[in-house]
Amino acid sequence: MPSSILAVRGLTKRFEGLVALSDLSFELERGEILGLIGPNGAGKTTLVSVISGTLRPDDGELTFEDHNLKHLPAYRRARLGIARTFQITRPFPGLTVLDNVAVGALFGTGAGTRELPRARALAHEKLDFVGLAHRADQRADALGGPDRKRLELAKSLAMSPQLLLLDEVMAGLTLVEIESVIAIIRRVREQGVSILIIEHVMKAIKSLSDRLLVLHHGQKIADGAPQQVLDDPQVVEAYLGRRRT
Amino acid sequence: MSLLGQILVNGILLGGLYALMALGLALVWGVLNIVNLAHGALIMLGAYVCYYLFTELNLDPFAALPLTMLTLFVFGYLLQRFVLNLVIRAPMFNTLLITFGIDVVLTYLAQISFSADYRTINPTYAGSNFALFGATVPTVRLLAFVVALALTCLLWLFLARTRLGRAIRATAQNLVAARLYGVEPRRIYALTFGLGAALAGAAGGLYGVVSQVNPYIGGSLTAKSFAIAIIGGLENPLGVVVGGLFLGIVESLTSLYIGPTYADVASFGILVLVLIVRPTGLLGRTT
Amino acid sequence: MTRPMLWGAAGGTLMILAAVPWIASPTLIQFGISTLLLATLAQSWNIIGGYAGYASFGNSVFYGLGSYGTAIAMVQWHLPFGVGLALGAVLAVAFAVLLGLLVLRLRGHYFAIATLALAEVMIAIFSNLDIAGRNIGLVLPLLRGDALFYEMSLGLLALSTLAIAWIARSRFGFGLISIRENEEAAAVMGVNTTLYKVLAFALSGFFCALAGGIHAYWITFLDPVSAFDIGLNVKMIIMSVFGGPGSILGPVVGAVLLSGVSEILSTEISSLAGLFFGVVIVTAVVFMPRGLADLGRRYKKVGWHYFADNVRAHRL
Repeated sequence: MPSSILAVRGLTKRFEGLVALSDLSFELERGEILGLIGPNGAGKTTLVSVISGTLRPDDGELTFEDHNLKHLPAYRRARLGIARTFQITRPFPGLTVLDNVAVGALFGTGAGTRELPRARALAHEKLDFVGLAHRADQRADALGGPDRKRLELAKSLAMSPQLLLLDEVMAGLTLVEIESVIAIIRRVREQGVSILIIEHVMKAIKSLSDRLLVLHHGQKIADGAPQQVLDDPQVVEAYLGRRRT
Repeated sequence: MSLLGQILVNGILLGGLYALMALGLALVWGVLNIVNLAHGALIMLGAYVCYYLFTELNLDPFAALPLTMLTLFVFGYLLQRFVLNLVIRAPMFNTLLITFGIDVVLTYLAQISFSADYRTINPTYAGSNFALFGATVPTVRLLAFVVALALTCLLWLFLARTRLGRAIRATAQNLVAARLYGVEPRRIYALTFGLGAALAGAAGGLYGVVSQVNPYIGGSLTAKSFAIAIIGGLENPLGVVVGGLFLGIVESLTSLYIGPTYADVASFGILVLVLIVRPTGLLGRTT
Repeated sequence: MTRPMLWGAAGGTLMILAAVPWIASPTLIQFGISTLLLATLAQSWNIIGGYAGYASFGNSVFYGLGSYGTAIAMVQWHLPFGVGLALGAVLAVAFAVLLGLLVLRLRGHYFAIATLALAEVMIAIFSNLDIAGRNIGLVLPLLRGDALFYEMSLGLLALSTLAIAWIARSRFGFGLISIRENEEAAAVMGVNTTLYKVLAFALSGFFCALAGGIHAYWITFLDPVSAFDIGLNVKMIIMSVFGGPGSILGPVVGAVLLSGVSEILSTEISSLAGLFFGVVIVTAVVFMPRGLADLGRRYKKVGWHYFADNVRAHRL
């Protein structure tokens, strides 16, 4: 069994007139938390969409646990164990919070269940885990911003994934809420899940990540230990621009 | 001229009228995002207004068109402002249902008011023909084609060159931004719908001259307008013209070479094909 | 009410309804058959439109295929009714699968229009088929005894409602609902959206076809325009939406209520019945767009405000 759970090689994605991802290659180790940072428009969400199957790449190889993801539709990747959260949350508005999460338990990987009562029980566990159990019976569209992020997380966890792709789960949270989500993510990793996390909250991603990957204009410009990467002049320039003397 | 040539000319003339029919639908769809299932009923009403102006006031049907358009404009404006506006922020399916309800109401009101008899608008020159590039064309069809094309050009100029036209286009593209620029959306929406209704009314008046009218023609005219708008493509305003001409020619050719009862199979079959293969229409960009 | 009590109540209602042909007048029985068939159609639409969220204007295609399948089998090949019905159903389901794969990829209103166009195409095609009697249509053998048709229609309605009841608490149903609520999210969570949509479409078509077959045999006459009548499709949508799409009994209630009132008005002034229908649709879409089922649920909490709230939420 290879040590990397996800291998990306030469990934390229073009939109009309814009190259979102350009010959990107990296690996995600089993049990690792890999942080993905970069200025806005760097291609981070596009990368997550390509891995989860929402978008098709124009070129490149994607391997997950020995499976070539190339022609697999999104739902098959979910069954294999890839889960993602959406940057702009996508709850099922007409369903209760509990049932939103139950969908994940019913359909994710085979580790869930096909029975509705059991799925609801599993959903309750996940809601407890993210601290949203008190809202289980509310309609999902009645939730406020931070709670919606927690719901996204609970839905993905209910799928019993091996690889979790988190897209800005901490946007708009207070410092206290951020600490709480950091703790939750650490506990998820302890359960053996590998995580790719996109985040703009530097403090959070620095403390969580084992490794940082920096994207700029769809290309990888740095890859390594967090402090080392953040000190890299190329990275600083990408975020802040060139220093004028 | 060969038979094929005659058929092509017929098809093009028919196509011009088709384009006008679909124009109002496409405008309302593009700006208000309303899929108007009552569009055919508006065409039907336009035909009846024109008919009664012709029989009661002895107005030449082409001269009566402006008045017909004005009547339908006012009707459309009020309909949007006080009825359709109530569901405009609801899921699109609701506008489908409500416009269907309106279609039912208008059809039955027409049946009660005008009876189910077929009517035609028959000006004195109705039977005369015109020689066009060697083909024989009924005068009224040629006149209808010219008027249809003229109105289409006028609409294009209106949207491109006038302040109000630009406001309408702005609202279509970005409601929030348009509001920030001082555009009053309710007025714009009602105006646009009124405009769409006026165009439908004109199409109806012309339709009444070249064909027969009764309260029930709305349904198939709506379907046909959809076909034209989608086949031509909703993104480009020229699309409706292309769609109309395309469909007019296809129907004429099908009638000749396969049989008149197959004309509808051709139009709607092509619509389904377009939706499956190239939903943005003949002129749209492939995403 | 506990579950056994609910089943008991349902069973009891069914038995009472089944007894109707022995206690009611012939007119009432005929009204019953029409309404039961319409209710079945509303339920079938409920599967694809209410649960999966794909507003289909093509159910009339399946209804027509079921009608013609039955009619052609009985008239041209002299097969018994049961076989004809089965043939019509197979035809409709095959069509649903084929079509579904092509057309369920389309977004919202494009899907609606594609299915609408298909209905028109069907009318035109069948008007030209000799085996279907072209635009004159077919005349089926006469079977006396409305009671039998009544019981068949009741049975069909019960079957379709049971199917929906099963869907509502099954993994399949959850999949459909998630597709309706947010298809992209459903896909990344592991729902095979294509398969599920096609299955829903096929199931929907199945019940429509059976209803079409029973109806054709009952009135003994069939022609393309009435078989593929788009107005019928819109009726089933209205009834389903009015009653409450995505609920188990909503469409049935909607069908019964709207049929009933329309029938009463018909006997008074016939053209007003149609007018009434249109006004009801417009008013319902404005004031109670989620149907009676939702009204029933929320009225307890908010009372009359329910109607004003709907308007305020949706107007500009």
